[in-house]
Amino acid sequence: MRPTRRQFIAAGTGAILATGAGCGRAGDDVRRRIGLPTHRPLEGDLTPPGAPEIDPISHVLNRLTFGARPGDHRRVAAMGVPAFIEEQLAPDRIDDRVCDRVIRRGFDHLEDPRSSLLPRDAGAPDPLARMFPALDHQSTRVGELYEFKDKTLLEDLSRATLLRAVLSERQLLEVMVQFWTDHFNIDPSKGESRWLKAADDRDVIRAHALGDFRMLLRASAVSPAMLWYLDGRVNRRAGSGDRPNENYARELLELHTLGVHGGYTQQDVLEVARCLTGWTVRDRKRFLRGRVEFVERLHDDGPKRVLGHEIPAGLGAGDLDRVLDIVAAHPATARHLAWKLCRRFIADEPPETAMAAVAAAFTAAGGSIPAALRALFATPEFNAPATRAAKFKRPFHYVVSALRATNARTDASRDVLDALVRLGHAPFRWATPDGYPEEATHWQNTLLWRWNFATALVGGRVRGSTVDAADLKEKLGGDDALMATVLGRRPSEAERVAYHQSGSGLALLLASPAFQSC
Amino acid sequence: MATQAVISGNGDQRRTLVIIFLRGAADGLALVPPVGDDHFHRARPRLAAAAKDGVRLDGHFGLHARMRPLESAWRDGDLAIVHACGMEDDTRSHFEAQDLMEHGGVAAGGWLGRYLRTRPPAVAGALACVAVGKALPECLLGAPTASVMQSFEDFTLGGGTPAFRTQLERLYAMERGRLGAAARDTFDALVRIEALRTSPRPPDHGAVYGRDEFSAGLARLAQLIKADVGLEAASIDLPGWDSHFAQQGQVESLAGRLAEGLAAFRRDLGRRMATTTVVVMTEFGRTVEENSAFGTDHGRGSAMLVLGGGVAGGRMHGVWHGLAPDKLERRGTLDGYGDLPVLNNYRNVLSSVLARHGANPANLAVTFPGFTLDPLNLFA
Repeated sequence: MRPTRRQFIAAGTGAILATGAGCGRAGDDVRRRIGLPTHRPLEGDLTPPGAPEIDPISHVLNRLTFGARPGDHRRVAAMGVPAFIEEQLAPDRIDDRVCDRVIRRGFDHLEDPRSSLLPRDAGAPDPLARMFPALDHQSTRVGELYEFKDKTLLEDLSRATLLRAVLSERQLLEVMVQFWTDHFNIDPSKGESRWLKAADDRDVIRAHALGDFRMLLRASAVSPAMLWYLDGRVNRRAGSGDRPNENYARELLELHTLGVHGGYTQQDVLEVARCLTGWTVRDRKRFLRGRVEFVERLHDDGPKRVLGHEIPAGLGAGDLDRVLDIVAAHPATARHLAWKLCRRFIADEPPETAMAAVAAAFTAAGGSIPAALRALFATPEFNAPATRAAKFKRPFHYVVSALRATNARTDASRDVLDALVRLGHAPFRWATPDGYPEEATHWQNTLLWRWNFATALVGGRVRGSTVDAADLKEKLGGDDALMATVLGRRPSEAERVAYHQSGSGLALLLASPAFQSC
Repeated sequence: MATQAVISGNGDQRRTLVIIFLRGAADGLALVPPVGDDHFHRARPRLAAAAKDGVRLDGHFGLHARMRPLESAWRDGDLAIVHACGMEDDTRSHFEAQDLMEHGGVAAGGWLGRYLRTRPPAVAGALACVAVGKALPECLLGAPTASVMQSFEDFTLGGGTPAFRTQLERLYAMERGRLGAAARDTFDALVRIEALRTSPRPPDHGAVYGRDEFSAGLARLAQLIKADVGLEAASIDLPGWDSHFAQQGQVESLAGRLAEGLAAFRRDLGRRMATTTVVVMTEFGRTVEENSAFGTDHGRGSAMLVLGGGVAGGRMHGVWHGLAPDKLERRGTLDGYGDLPVLNNYRNVLSSVLARHGANPANLAVTFPGFTLDPLNLFA
């Protein structure tokens, strides 16, 4: 991988700025751990769950995170479930420097070039951008991605996604990143999305995953990768005979906002497509590649009518925000998002009352994603005992939870990604705009490959990922503690017998029926 | 062979149905162009030009040039085509259309799943139904059994000792509901595939499969069929047909893969094609007119292909009204818009095929609820 322009810049300025900009505070313990493959040392109080069923603590760990790590149950028990939920809803306040450093060290090119090498307080001016104002230009930040081999970029993006899911303390953020990645799905195999998806991940999904939905929607609408993926870049009206390309307009209404039964008509799709004509992205053969721009002469500037709202002629680029205001504020959008969130966090067929509560909270808070989630986690349905351990983990969740439960040391390299491909759930590989399915029925025939991952991981046959079962058992305090830590509750008698007679107890736990659910 | 007979029961008396779903809305007018219709050339001044290199099927229709490997099936009378196919719902959403079509309407479970659950006899072997790919397609939801398979080699419990397998099986045996059923299917399929793996067979009759995923999937299905493991239904997808933009190259490559894969499959199976039927379908067709980006957008009617023994092939089936503007389905209010209407409901194609495979009226009614069937006569 050749160094990027940014790395040259950084090399030059590093000597001047880096030591003074906050690196020192991280401490030696962090520096020791940033080598790949990595994990966190087992320390602190590792008392395992003690209840015979999934308790409220294991339940929030199951649903708000990609699986509990040894010690997590004790930590949440000490702070209380409500405090844990509030902690996770405010990811900026969580100290996540181990994960940040691992990502920065291995995946510098996926980070924002303005700030990745020079940590700074949120809101403070970027020291690099002060010296090189061009770095503030969106196209420069995006265009830099083209310097990488597309396959390298996609693999690195997948690895970074996996590593963050395994290592980050901001677990709910990572869960929501996956949620929005599905919601605004982009298959990077199409056109220049192969480079631009990395910018979408950084500037659209991660930037707004626990933020404001309207801003997320706006960012996605003008995301260069999205303009490629759903053909927005060729949606234009150059001559009077040109038909608009409806692809993005349709998915905007059907998948991103109102939902397929949200009450829009085919005519609305057409009118939205007309509103968005002229938005395009410069391709890689051109100067300032990856730059999104609005080309006035390719815009259909006549009057339009979208979902009953008149949009007068002559608004030009302003049509975009008018359309997004209309669809974001539409009641069907709140219902559609509430349905999807409840399906993710409560049950595949979510209860009406919970959906209504989440939609109301979302609307009342003006589209705040944390407000919607806070309401969701407070519903009786989310907290009902019958809800616990009743959702089938999707394969990504399964694999990450296995790595977390065993405190595996991992570099998230090829073998783990291959396992996810086999399981049909590798990051950024879903071809169609609807994103990976959520429902259990879609995933139930992946059992064999889950079992095979469990035996391979514990048996040391997943290159780049290691589990020290003996050390884990010793630190946790024996077989029963290990079982309870992995299962999130005390084992049943049948599980205890199977664990001891299987010849590979830890692998059996990971392959067992209980570990498939969350 | 004795081992396989035990596995399959009377599997060799069964017919096998293979459903190929072209995901993304395949352009039926590119695959089976009405080259004898002037309106076709007028609506697609740029895209229709390629159709002249294709196969002439009859005086009116052609076959895409890259589908030439299927010409002999047509001439031999093994390939029937129904144009202007689709469903009554005019959604132009890929997901809703695929969902509706695979569910066989607004119904619980998939149409093929319901068929398998209600067709006589009620007992299905663990390998009665295989989905090639990474996940179960919607049409197989509710099937009494269905195994997802990418390759035989992968269909083993890696690294597990007999003790491990025994204990795992014990724990899953206590599971009720779908998880327990999925586990039992998985253990059953493991046993059967292990038997297949011990006697691998190369393709017969000099058939050569391409190296693409689709062809490789068809090759594995042919192996399962020839090994008499009791395969009754299989599904395999060929995705990527959503050709909004510069569609020529995209459609050429996919049409080539489809036709070459099917031709190799037909050759490989030889006389076993007499008890095999392949159906090629898609969620909807594409606009009659090409768009400004040399592509086509979501439309209505597309083509379905039926290949197999006993097919009244070598001719077009169903209704066709041509592409004259007054024969097209209008939508929106802008000028010049029109779609090939759905003149032949996909259920009337599938029910004809299922009848050939032994379906009776009662189980056809369960398979396609809420719809008055009027099956085409696709078989001689």
